[in-house]
Amino acid sequence: MGKASSSSTAQDALALFDSFRSAYSATPTTLKIIDLYIGFAVSTALIQVVYMALVGSFPFNSFLSGVLSCVGTAVLAVCLRIQVNKENKEFKDLAPERAFADFVLCNVVLHLVIMNFLG
Amino acid sequence: MSKLVGVLAFLTLTLPFLAHSFSPDHPTDRRVLVLLDDLAVKSSHSLFFKSLQSRGFELDFKLADDPKISLQRYGLYSYDALILFSPSVDRFGGSIDLAAILDFVDSGHDLIIAADTHASDLIRQIAVECGVDFDEDPAAMVIDHTSYAVSDTEGDHTVIASDDFIKSDVILGSEKIEAPVLFQGIGHTVNSENSLVLKVLSASPSAYSSNPKSKLSNPPSLTGSAISLVSVVQARNNARVLISGSLSLFSDRFFRSKMQKAGSSKKHEKSANEQFLTELSKWVFHERGHLKAVNVKHQRVGEADEPAIYRINDDLEYSVEIYEWRGQRWEPYVADDLQVQFYMMSPYVLKTLSTDQKGRYFTEFRVPDVYGVFQFKVEYKRLGYTSLSLSKQIPVRPFRHNEYERFIPAAYPYYGAAFSMMTGFFVFTAVHLYNK
Amino acid sequence: MVGKSEPLNGTATAKTGQSPSPSPPPATPMSDLLGNFSFKTLKLKTKQQELLIRVSILCLVYVLAFITRLFSVLRYESMIHEFDPYFNYRTTLYLTEKGFYEFWNWFDSESWYPLGRIIGGTLYPGLMVTAAIIYWALRFLSFAVHIREVCVLTAPFFASNTTIVAYFFGKEIWDTGAGLVAAALIAICPGYISRSVAGSYDNEGVAIFALLLTFYLFVKAVNTGSLAWALGSALGYFYMVSAWGGYIFIINLIPLYVLVLLITGRYSMRLYVAYNCTYILGMLLAMQIRFVGFQHVQSGEHMAAMGVFFLMQVFYFLDYVKHLLSDSKMFQAFLRITVTCAVAVGGVALGVGTASGYISPWTGRFYSLLDPTYAKDHIPIIASVSEHQPTAWSSFMFDFHILLFLFPAGLYFCFKRLSDATIFIVMYGLTSMYFAGVMVRLILVATPAVCLISAIAVSATIKNLTQLARAKDKVSQTGSAKGASSTKGSSKGSIDQSQPFQRNGAFALLFGAFYLLSKYATHCTWVTSEAYSSPSIVLAARGAHGNRVIFDDYREAYFWLRQNTPPDAKVMSWWDYGYQITAMGNRTVIVDNNTWNNTHIATVGRAMSSYEDEAYDIMRSLDVDYVLVVFGGVTGYSSDDINKFLWMVRIGGGVFPVIKEPDYLVNGEYRVDKGAAPKMLNCLMYKLSYYRFGEMTTEYGKPPGYDRARGVEIGNKDIKLEYLEEAFTTSNWIVRIYKVKPPNNRW
Repeated sequence: MGKASSSSTAQDALALFDSFRSAYSATPTTLKIIDLYIGFAVSTALIQVVYMALVGSFPFNSFLSGVLSCVGTAVLAVCLRIQVNKENKEFKDLAPERAFADFVLCNVVLHLVIMNFLG
Repeated sequence: MSKLVGVLAFLTLTLPFLAHSFSPDHPTDRRVLVLLDDLAVKSSHSLFFKSLQSRGFELDFKLADDPKISLQRYGLYSYDALILFSPSVDRFGGSIDLAAILDFVDSGHDLIIAADTHASDLIRQIAVECGVDFDEDPAAMVIDHTSYAVSDTEGDHTVIASDDFIKSDVILGSEKIEAPVLFQGIGHTVNSENSLVLKVLSASPSAYSSNPKSKLSNPPSLTGSAISLVSVVQARNNARVLISGSLSLFSDRFFRSKMQKAGSSKKHEKSANEQFLTELSKWVFHERGHLKAVNVKHQRVGEADEPAIYRINDDLEYSVEIYEWRGQRWEPYVADDLQVQFYMMSPYVLKTLSTDQKGRYFTEFRVPDVYGVFQFKVEYKRLGYTSLSLSKQIPVRPFRHNEYERFIPAAYPYYGAAFSMMTGFFVFTAVHLYNK
Repeated sequence: MVGKSEPLNGTATAKTGQSPSPSPPPATPMSDLLGNFSFKTLKLKTKQQELLIRVSILCLVYVLAFITRLFSVLRYESMIHEFDPYFNYRTTLYLTEKGFYEFWNWFDSESWYPLGRIIGGTLYPGLMVTAAIIYWALRFLSFAVHIREVCVLTAPFFASNTTIVAYFFGKEIWDTGAGLVAAALIAICPGYISRSVAGSYDNEGVAIFALLLTFYLFVKAVNTGSLAWALGSALGYFYMVSAWGGYIFIINLIPLYVLVLLITGRYSMRLYVAYNCTYILGMLLAMQIRFVGFQHVQSGEHMAAMGVFFLMQVFYFLDYVKHLLSDSKMFQAFLRITVTCAVAVGGVALGVGTASGYISPWTGRFYSLLDPTYAKDHIPIIASVSEHQPTAWSSFMFDFHILLFLFPAGLYFCFKRLSDATIFIVMYGLTSMYFAGVMVRLILVATPAVCLISAIAVSATIKNLTQLARAKDKVSQTGSAKGASSTKGSSKGSIDQSQPFQRNGAFALLFGAFYLLSKYATHCTWVTSEAYSSPSIVLAARGAHGNRVIFDDYREAYFWLRQNTPPDAKVMSWWDYGYQITAMGNRTVIVDNNTWNNTHIATVGRAMSSYEDEAYDIMRSLDVDYVLVVFGGVTGYSSDDINKFLWMVRIGGGVFPVIKEPDYLVNGEYRVDKGAAPKMLNCLMYKLSYYRFGEMTTEYGKPPGYDRARGVEIGNKDIKLEYLEEAFTTSNWIVRIYKVKPPNNRW
């Protein structure tokens, strides 16, 4: 019985995974590029957290600024993705140029603050 | 023109006076007022007075109830020191009273008081204000049946021989006092709460204080070494007071007499009174043991100016010059136990100062890791020396925001991550904008 | 306030005038009136008329907000009030003289002797930097003003700016009518005026502006879903963090609001964009302030925001997956797994963080808001401040007047038209009213919410009433315009007969509403004039013949200190007066209003409550040269040190158990007359306050030594001081300064 349920969950998981992949490949390239960018940011954040766990958090402000720059970049990219995605009904009146301009502005502020906070 | 000459003449005549009167640069006293009960004292104590005069003091002898005596004229003190050899005076004449004498001492001038049996209340009051309590019984004298001076005439053992001196070369001179000192008078005790008063000559453990003419009805209240025969007080402003329970201690008779202490076979040609009192009077009139500290300097190592504020973990050096007055001039004071504290409610740094043997003391240390308002404190209190209490306030600040390490090696990954995010952002915008 | 009724009628007219019917412009009496204002000659269209009216009203409200706060400047002079503003003034002075870098790194060795205080790292710089920027801007334009004038007038200036923000906020939540009413209400509301009169140069004057601005920008961001507005909200939050410690309210209210929206099923992409951008950028910006430091990731008070952040990511992720997967059954399974994982991870992280102490628990200051009894038992310093006491109903009525019952009415309207924005204002109103009930000082934070919600009530009600009042006209007009068939005429006629009651009722209610609003305005002006315009450093009273008597004792004493004591003299007083002594007397103090070191304050409290000889030892160890006490026995001034004395005992006894409060009380009663406790009659504070007072006759018909503030004759009249001597007593005996004598020369 356990084996059956575990195998059924395994089957479920496999089916889940397949449907994920098929649905994802249908997304447009623009969004995929944004997803890649987000992935890059999140992985950098994870690397830094692992490093901090190993070495200790001595210059805590540098750690925070590094991690928050990655998290901030990821979050802003997600917001851009939401606004640019044509399938989102809430944002259909928003011109993608306007969305991108907002994105750039926020990123500029983010990086300026990170520079101040870094050291 | 003549007026100018007159003024110049006046100045040149008084210049010696002015140059030699008491001043912080020249602390030896010059003009001493001596108040006597009875002018006969002048001749019966002539040796003592001559010793003073030979050292350059000008003694002004007056009767204690002379109505014209006064310590001040128009707000300036006319004398540098006061000797009261008038144990039975009830009221001083002129403008001198208890408050005037205490003000005199509180403004830095020295005082010698001699009491005796039947000392008046006024003399007792003065002594109490200085921390010394005479025996309440006015007729009491110090009696010692084991260390009295052997004498043919008096057999009531009131003339005692004491050699229980205070151990201090500064107060009593470097020459050892061989013979005991003859004393006849009342004893006193020193107030134990008072840290400024010292017993110079104490009675032996077998002494007691009572009326020699009457029988002892109760046990005497003052006994043993608690009885002090001669005490000194060094006040906080370095005025010195000598209090003696006997006027005859200073007399020519005691100075010259041969003596033999009961219980010892040694006969002394001369009692030690003269040596004792000469040395002691040198100390009281600031010819010994008077220190001054000048030129307190502190600066960062390598700089010449004194900064207004230090930073934590700075290296600084501190130096001070200390001189001792030797009667005629200032000479460097040499000691190895001078310490400086860097103090804020408790000493954070305590260092012994090293000396160059010429009076300059210096040391170097690092400011502790605590910020606040600190003081450089030198508290030097040695027996017989004037107390040095120096304190210089200086604030210590923490690091400024740009005084930390600029690039911390442990943080390089974070710098790298932040910059990689920035480049990633640039690359992404380029790709996103030109992606069709 | 007929003036106020104008715009509402105007807007109502404009709105009803914009009906799609092709009828000619309504020749109503009102538009005739407007016509008399020669709008027609200016050939303005209705929309432009409306804009002109709105702008002129806003200008009037702006000016009104500024000038109603100028009472104390007119009555006394342009000076800084109270205690805390003196510290702010001193720091602003330092900033303008030495520049920003020196200010940022300032280590002050003149307060908290001998510990010193790192001022650069322990203050909120927003207020000082704002005033300095205004000062430099004016200087750049060649206006040679003194920095003190700028400081005095900063708060009214920002109060005017707050009215503008309130207008926009009201417009966002409801409509322009509500915005205008909100601006007008907040311009004169006493709850806000109390902390922003001219001269009250304190953090709250600027902070309320920043608070409202942040909230407005956030609500706008949630409504539009734009990153730019979210960035604006983050910048507003940064300004708030730099200005006041009350930013905790924002960083907890916004996550709470987001949580409520998530729970009520109003999750949307706009919310995601707004909250995430605000949170990340706001947190980063806030950590640039040295005083705040790393609290956003380490303190328990900020954890709610982080938790909601992670929750939002989970929501977004689930939404995304749901969108990707077409099969709902799989999605359900996936949902279950993810949610349990997320909750487990979150719970474990929070638990580990709190247990290991990494996440610090709520600090006492804010914990006492959740548990009002906490401070009295554990932190006497917080409990002793009079502004931290729970609020009485009379304070609410005093500060809010009619807004108090318009508030529930507004809540009703908000619930009728629920949207993201109205949910926000409802939450803001309810939470801020709770906190206002806990602490008097926080009525200030509740004021904007109350004004906005009441504005909604007023605007909606008046709009409905004017529509009722207008409705008959419109019907009669169309009736007269069309006027064709008699049947229509007769049916209109029958309607005509029932309308007058409605119309008269509407007019009556409108009149009642305007009467209430006019009463509100009168009340606010009276309150401002009587209660909130006192500089409290200069006292005023009525003399026997009704003339005004001014007591300027405080400044007299501080200037005496400045001119008659050595520059490095150290003054010991109770911490209330520390800032004023440093700012005006320019002398080092032992403790001041910052109250950051409880042990130091307790040492001073112990010295004040001990006998003179023990106190002398404590004072020698702190190098004290002068002692300053405030005494109200001659003038009847009741905020003097004898009335504060029990707090000194409590605070001193909290650290030094040798000081016990029951020693100073008799049967639990605090007395200073003959029946007082012996320790009370001989402690240092008693001696210093009543020295030589026993010979003084203060009131006709009363014995000498009659204390007018306590209303009794004092118990110990023959006071001798052994270690201190009197240095100065001001002309009305309010401030007394004593010199500590050096140790006795021969002892």
